[in-house]
Amino acid sequence: MCGIVGYIGDKSARSILLNCLRRLEYRGYDSCGIAVAGGSLEVYKDAVRVEELARVAPQLDGTAGIGHTRWATHGEPSPVNAHPHIDCSGKIAVVHNGVINNYQKLNRQLTAEGHSFVSETDTEVISHLIEKYYGGSLERAVEAALGEVDGSYAIIAVMAGDPELVVARKDSPLVIGVSDRENFIASDVPALLDYTNRVIYLEEGDIGVVTKDNIKIRRCGKEVVGQEHKVLWRVEDAQKGGYEHFMLKEIHEQPKVIRDTLGEYISAAEPEARLAMVTEADLEGMLIVACGTSYHAALAGKYILDEVVGIPVVVELAGEFAYFNQISAKTGAIVITQSGETADALKAMKRLKEVGCRVVAITNVVGSTASRLADQTVYTRAGPEISVAATKSFTVQLMVLYWLALSCSSVDIRRVDSLTMGLRQLPGKVQQVLDNEDKIKEYADYLSKCEDVFFIGRGINFPVALEGALKLKEISYIHAEGYAAGELKHGPFALLGANTPVVAIVAQDSAYEAMLTNIKEIKAKGSPLIALADEGDEVVKELADSVITVPRVDPIFSPVVNTVALQLLAYYTAKQRDCPIDFPRNLAKSVTVE
Amino acid sequence: MKQAVILSAGEGQRLRPFTATRPKVMLSIAGKPILQYVVEALAQNGIRNLVMVIGYRRREILDYMGSGEQFGVDITYVTQEKQLGTAHALAQAKEVTEEEFLVLPGDNLIEADTIARFVMVKPEAVLVKRVDNPVRYGVVTIAKGMVKDIAEKPEEAKSNVVSTGTYAFTKRVFDFIEPELDIPDVLNSMIARGKLISAQETDGPWLDVAYPWDILSLNDAVLHRIQPNLGGIFETGVVVKGLVSVGKDTVVRSNSYIMGSVVIGNNCDIGPNVCILPATSVGDNVVISPFTDIKNSVIGSDVNIGPGCIIQDSVIDKGCVINGHFTACSGEADVKVDDEYHTVNMGAMLGGGCDLGNSVTAQPGVIVGNHSQVQALKLVSGRLPDRSLVV
Repeated sequence: MCGIVGYIGDKSARSILLNCLRRLEYRGYDSCGIAVAGGSLEVYKDAVRVEELARVAPQLDGTAGIGHTRWATHGEPSPVNAHPHIDCSGKIAVVHNGVINNYQKLNRQLTAEGHSFVSETDTEVISHLIEKYYGGSLERAVEAALGEVDGSYAIIAVMAGDPELVVARKDSPLVIGVSDRENFIASDVPALLDYTNRVIYLEEGDIGVVTKDNIKIRRCGKEVVGQEHKVLWRVEDAQKGGYEHFMLKEIHEQPKVIRDTLGEYISAAEPEARLAMVTEADLEGMLIVACGTSYHAALAGKYILDEVVGIPVVVELAGEFAYFNQISAKTGAIVITQSGETADALKAMKRLKEVGCRVVAITNVVGSTASRLADQTVYTRAGPEISVAATKSFTVQLMVLYWLALSCSSVDIRRVDSLTMGLRQLPGKVQQVLDNEDKIKEYADYLSKCEDVFFIGRGINFPVALEGALKLKEISYIHAEGYAAGELKHGPFALLGANTPVVAIVAQDSAYEAMLTNIKEIKAKGSPLIALADEGDEVVKELADSVITVPRVDPIFSPVVNTVALQLLAYYTAKQRDCPIDFPRNLAKSVTVE
Repeated sequence: MKQAVILSAGEGQRLRPFTATRPKVMLSIAGKPILQYVVEALAQNGIRNLVMVIGYRRREILDYMGSGEQFGVDITYVTQEKQLGTAHALAQAKEVTEEEFLVLPGDNLIEADTIARFVMVKPEAVLVKRVDNPVRYGVVTIAKGMVKDIAEKPEEAKSNVVSTGTYAFTKRVFDFIEPELDIPDVLNSMIARGKLISAQETDGPWLDVAYPWDILSLNDAVLHRIQPNLGGIFETGVVVKGLVSVGKDTVVRSNSYIMGSVVIGNNCDIGPNVCILPATSVGDNVVISPFTDIKNSVIGSDVNIGPGCIIQDSVIDKGCVINGHFTACSGEADVKVDDEYHTVNMGAMLGGGCDLGNSVTAQPGVIVGNHSQVQALKLVSGRLPDRSLVV
């Protein structure tokens, strides 16, 4: 997982490249570098973050260049392993996002032919291959080089004295930002938003030549005109807007993104259109595949579809799905991926398509690989999510799953009406949770001193327990485990005690009585118990040591309000512990390798 | 004049419960926060370099205004941690101001006309206006176009000319701020030390909100000037008269009757058979069920109103859920704010996130705190604190 950028135009490339890279740091940030081509080629790179590089990099002259922010997969973070990588002559530079599977073989061949390698990366073979095939046209050389390569890539190549950038992609994202007398290239749209909102998404296998006035794209050997999209995100959408961290900003955006999603999908404007989405009559069941936070949304989706639609639902982790063989074509498949680029999810999609399943993708990124593989795409309207810890994208994924359930033709119109009413109240209810922030902070102060925390829930709030634990562990580095409440006594009870608090998520649904029993059991073990419960739940107030109250909603919607409360809990716990909240150690925003 | 400092840090305690979750400048009038009117008035006069002093519940402002790009301005934020006074607020902006700048209160609703001439004035200057009830404001004594003194909320007003809280300053003003906390005191001390401060009068709109019911009069005043716009979907038999603006994705169902001036936001579901009468503002994502009748009221976003309700001269804040047959009729009431009684004609003031059961009746003048819950068939009256439970 890395971020790459390119610029060609009339302005000095150095500062533009660095600014674009800064916006891609969520993709990885263990090292970075830039190459600027004027008459000669100058490269500066180091194992530092972009901000530091911007401070120390010399003034490189030139109006065309490429840049890279790295997340190590082959070779440790070091100045030598940082991109861009150059050839033996020092005239060709390449940045690359992806994995080259056969790089060791290529490395041996090229070394035998006299090329000398300096890094441990897979990428360096590409620059040497381009050098090998160069015969006057950089584009032809790149094409020939990529013909030898087995793996995934998005690359940008530049050559000294040659006023063009050559781009190519396969299984890794790449967009071109279009402007007047200058053009931009990046792994993701936020990098471009300071400069342009007109973008062209490259397709799998495309090779393009970008100059300051022209964009030439070849697809399957034929020249095509890239379709320009207008990005509706505003520049400030990708900035922190006065918040200390992107995560807190994104948590606070949730009432708005829920409202946007309601407007997009659940608006009363077109009741007929919404009913055409899923015809479940011929389906034996549904399968939802996802990773990480999206997997937790998928699990909640199982309870939602099971209850509202009455259809059997199976949920699989995308990475594990590869090891199952029995897939029926009569399964309705849903793949959830925020970035639309998660490698495991894309691989699962390809398999499902091969079997003949109809695949619906739920993703936040318009034009992402997932949206192009799917039969139908439902976009979550969350806007760009920069914080590595997913917050608003999770909430909006839930909203889309509610909508999918309501769209199923077999659901009684009275049920649709009452659920629609409940959904419409969610922005207000979530706002109430946010208004209660100061109370939640107090609990965070307590949790920040703990080493281990358990989160438990039952029914539709079991996935919420998993998500609450995931949020806490990924940003505060506190060991946290999410458990189905009934499972605690099958092992974890041994770990409970005065220093291991339990956060119990209690909703007024059919699981309520059983949750009370679990809470009593935990109290008997002497663990401090924090309950997350409806305001007005006096019974839980009696039993628990402390209660975080959330506004009362129909239990089917409780995952939305409960998760927002747990996001705040995790955020303030991490803040208390001075953690780098937006960029936790060892994590990157989307995982484009398996 | 190229720059303006907007004072937006205050809470507006007398406006509770509406200011418990937002600063005063973010009170919504005809579908927009007051602050936005100020920003737009400045932008229309070519002043796009704005400094906002924020403090109380500042996130509401950050979330809404962002970098200002959406409103065609460039905003720099500075924070006033404790709201000690307007001069203290201005002092926070010292490092980011240019040689000359305007200062405006973010919580007074103005239009482009109001400051059209003032933006060209030579500092130091104050914008004044003639009003009917000067004792509520800073009364300005003027001689030969120059300010002689400002008397804040005097027992007896010497004239009906008051300060609008809008000033033109040079950086010199910062030398006079200590030890004063409020700008009128700073002006008086400048005058005492021989500085000349000119007074310029405006006849453009200048509206202040001090008490909850003022929201209704501001709403009324602004609604007369809205741009009609019928977005959304209108089923057959809907009647629309007068100045009406309806947002996108909103559905107005059969036989509803909308008589302007009325503003309705995006993605609302209204009707069938709903009456919305002048002067009413409805936020985004609001449901208004059949046979409900609303007049001269402000309904916040995400509100859900059940069937058969009567709502007059009322403010219903965001996220309230109101079941069927709620009655909030207008009437004369003595309402207590800050230990003072005010006799006003009004219906009900409902804070955000309230939950009302079926057939609740509100006495005229009731002020219900945020997140209160009222069970079915109850009568509410007087002043209820936040999170009240009426059983």
